[in-house]
Amino acid sequence: MSDYLIRKATTKDIPFLATAIIAAEKGRSDKLSFSTLFNISEEKARILIIKMLEEEIDGCELSVSSFLVADFNDEPIAAFGTWIEGFEDNMPSKILKSNLILKTFDKESIEYFITKASIIKDILIEREPLTLQLEYIYIEEKHMGKGLDNEFILKSEQNALKILPSLTKIQGQLYKNNIFAIITLRKKNFNIAKSCKAANPEIFEYLPFNEKLLMEKYF
Amino acid sequence: MEKEEMVKKLTPIFRNVFGDETLEVTDELSALNVASWDSLSHMLLITEVENQFTIKFKLKDLNKMKNVGDMMAMINSKL
Repeated sequence: MSDYLIRKATTKDIPFLATAIIAAEKGRSDKLSFSTLFNISEEKARILIIKMLEEEIDGCELSVSSFLVADFNDEPIAAFGTWIEGFEDNMPSKILKSNLILKTFDKESIEYFITKASIIKDILIEREPLTLQLEYIYIEEKHMGKGLDNEFILKSEQNALKILPSLTKIQGQLYKNNIFAIITLRKKNFNIAKSCKAANPEIFEYLPFNEKLLMEKYF
Repeated sequence: MEKEEMVKKLTPIFRNVFGDETLEVTDELSALNVASWDSLSHMLLITEVENQFTIKFKLKDLNKMKNVGDMMAMINSKL
């Protein structure tokens, strides 16, 4: 672990964070929701993800301030995104994220997305206020198995407890086919608190899987 | 625009977006107290409000709107 430096992300990391978000969103599939649900290419989606990160809106999964980054030889190789849901009267992250998308994506993309909304509605899971929300874990393949996931979770919990000592829970939402992440979280004492499945099989055209899990752990 | 008139114009939008024909538009209404106010319905709501009032919110406007009272004030500032 001494070869790695874990630090808070800055705006200089935005291109790397976009790479991390895209890889984490896709899981082990080729479906990037920012692309498929908005009828745009992955390249365009990457540009828009960067634009949303550049807005520096705190309190959601598209906030630079939500991320920790691990450097190896002074280069970022892993990222981990967490935030405290609804902290300090912040709006729910679902609203902050929606606002970012509404004001970043083209009108045509938003209209296309609205036509697809019913397909994904079944797998939306509410985020519990004042819990630590874990959304993105990305580690470059050659740096996997070096304990970075452990360090990220530990540091995120420590940082969150510094600003909200009454925090008791961390939650993460994962697609059920993301076996590697599920096993990783189980090893960290996360339990499955909820699962939901989309009724419409068309969902496979847009998202990595049709079933989502809510995993959580008490501190 | 008078508040009464605005509520009258917003009510069918809210009822349609949230699928609730009994929903009353009040200042306190927000994503925190309407169960079906999720990310998808929020996008639909904002799109419909912008279309019906022929206005455009900026990102900073949207992030100031913590409830419907804030939304109505923001709409009025743009008319």
